[in-house]
Amino acid sequence: MINMDALLNGLFALADPYLLMLLFAATLGGVLVGALPGLNATTGVALLLPFTITMEPIPAIAILTAIYCAATFAGAITAILINTPGTSASATTCLDGYPLAQRGEAGRALGMAAVSSTIGGIISVVCLMAAAPLLARAAYNFAPPEYFALTVFGLSMLATIGDGSPVKNIISGAFGILVATVGIDLLTSVERFTFGLNELSEGIPFVPVMIGVFGISELLVQADNLHVERKQVVMKSIRLPNMNDYRKVWKTILRSSGIGTFIGILPAEGATVASMIGYNEAKRWSKTPEEFGHGSLEGIAGSEAANNSATGGAMVPTLALGIPGSPTAAVILAGLMVHGLRPGPTMFTDQADFAYAIFWSMLLVNILFFFIGLWGAKIFARVTFVPIQILWPIVFIFSIVGAYALEQSMMDVWIAVGSGILGFYMRRYGFSVVPMAIGLILGGMLETRLGQSMVMLDEKWWLMLNRPLSLFFFVLTILALFGPPVWDRIIKYRLKRKVAGK
Amino acid sequence: MQPFVDVSKHTSNRTVFRYLIPFGIIAFCVLAYFLSTQFDRVPPILKRGMQPSDFPQLIIGLIIILSVWLIFRDNDKTPKRMTKVVHLTMGLLVGFLIIADIDLFLGLGLFATMLTILWGERRAWAIILVGLFVPFSVFFLFDSIFEVRFPRGLLTNIWYG
Repeated sequence: MINMDALLNGLFALADPYLLMLLFAATLGGVLVGALPGLNATTGVALLLPFTITMEPIPAIAILTAIYCAATFAGAITAILINTPGTSASATTCLDGYPLAQRGEAGRALGMAAVSSTIGGIISVVCLMAAAPLLARAAYNFAPPEYFALTVFGLSMLATIGDGSPVKNIISGAFGILVATVGIDLLTSVERFTFGLNELSEGIPFVPVMIGVFGISELLVQADNLHVERKQVVMKSIRLPNMNDYRKVWKTILRSSGIGTFIGILPAEGATVASMIGYNEAKRWSKTPEEFGHGSLEGIAGSEAANNSATGGAMVPTLALGIPGSPTAAVILAGLMVHGLRPGPTMFTDQADFAYAIFWSMLLVNILFFFIGLWGAKIFARVTFVPIQILWPIVFIFSIVGAYALEQSMMDVWIAVGSGILGFYMRRYGFSVVPMAIGLILGGMLETRLGQSMVMLDEKWWLMLNRPLSLFFFVLTILALFGPPVWDRIIKYRLKRKVAGK
Repeated sequence: MQPFVDVSKHTSNRTVFRYLIPFGIIAFCVLAYFLSTQFDRVPPILKRGMQPSDFPQLIIGLIIILSVWLIFRDNDKTPKRMTKVVHLTMGLLVGFLIIADIDLFLGLGLFATMLTILWGERRAWAIILVGLFVPFSVFFLFDSIFEVRFPRGLLTNIWYG
């Protein structure tokens, strides 16, 4: 049930002019981040995280979520105007946005992207407001074994992140968990993998690793892309979609918003998967599927409503369970921890005002980026032409200073650069860095809950399977890990039999 | 007629990477496992469900099993050769770490200048912007507004006295 007092207190928190100004600036910054080459919501949030350390928790987390929402939308600007998705979540927007822009209808495409993103975002935040407290309430009575099983399930979803090999994704996630064991063991106070270095006794810090794997590794990827040329289409004027256009796409927007919110709620699955499913479903339900790929407004609406609604959805498990719903939500989760907040069921009892202030700020940002994105589209499209040989050295300076600033330790600079080089090689050989980052964040929690479960169950781990909820999460884990390959085999076998039968 | 393509080199590269990466991971895990055996053990009265080495060893075991699987079932293509620019950029990163020990902002300024030139920038204003103006602005922004105390070094000593 929604806590009305907290709901209103959260809304009143937004009456602070300083917070409103910060949200406006963050939305502007988020749209810029989404439009700049090589930067995306996750990198943007990771780079900004150290700047928020001196702030109060509400403005700090509010601007991180503002960057998340705005950058996810801004990916559509470059997707439509220069056929280069600003973020991977906008890859499907290119398919119809760019053909429309080439026909001189860039404004119509941008208008549709802005409207769909805003509606998708608002729907998902409303769902977040309703679902997160309910989920938290359901999880309130979880004991350590249930939490352990839930965290294992959350980590199992990492297998399906990106388009890489599931086995490599799990190795990457497990490596992140192993890195999280560096430092003094919280259960026994024994030092592990510290090599006698005092700086490592508190463990490997999240922020420099995030900056390294998302920011510095991207710098090395960009070093390989110096030859890529970007061509802009001419945008004469912004002609917004008309009533007929809206009438044609409103069902698609609603459907994709539902899909995006649901996909976002699933642990680790973010806007990219949501946009792909949203686009495919829009095509499947469309009366004119032949227009898809040639400039269909429904295609843009299906993709954009889904990817933006995934942002709100992804915050549901992040805030209610402490399990990130997407890669960017993982960085926001790290931000919550750095600020001493405890994501989980208690957030809606002990820190309810904070949680609702974040919800309201996300709602506001979804409205703000509609105006900023739409009327500033021409300017943001020019931003994409900032030469990367100027942009990336500046990004590097901010990355290093950000990594240093948190603990004011040169060790963190080494960790950031080391993680960047490691992240680059991981990406090069098909190991996504996202599972590693999420593993690092959840590793400590996973070990603590396993230890607590062992104490509770008298060191008989198998008793976890006697608890219905734990068993349920373990079954879900098995389905998440083995379901897709088994399903694939069944489909292939059936196809083979069908062909043989013919 | 198809153009002649020397596939032997590519195939041998592929074979090397196919096995090098999983075996490299396994070697890392063996080392980590050995290190984990050196952790202190706690008496049963202080034990909270597990010994400190139990959880890392569990994860190391999982990584080894998955790496063995990878030896037989890795279908990923070998990535194309890294360009010279990537190698040089990595070299600059190492150079930055060495110079940062003398002075963090000297390292940042030099790294940014060299990187922008390496990546093809030749305009003087752009090089000055990236190598001088931005590091200076970032230093004063963090020092004055965020009250971050940077490590003392060749240049920062001038400011800190």
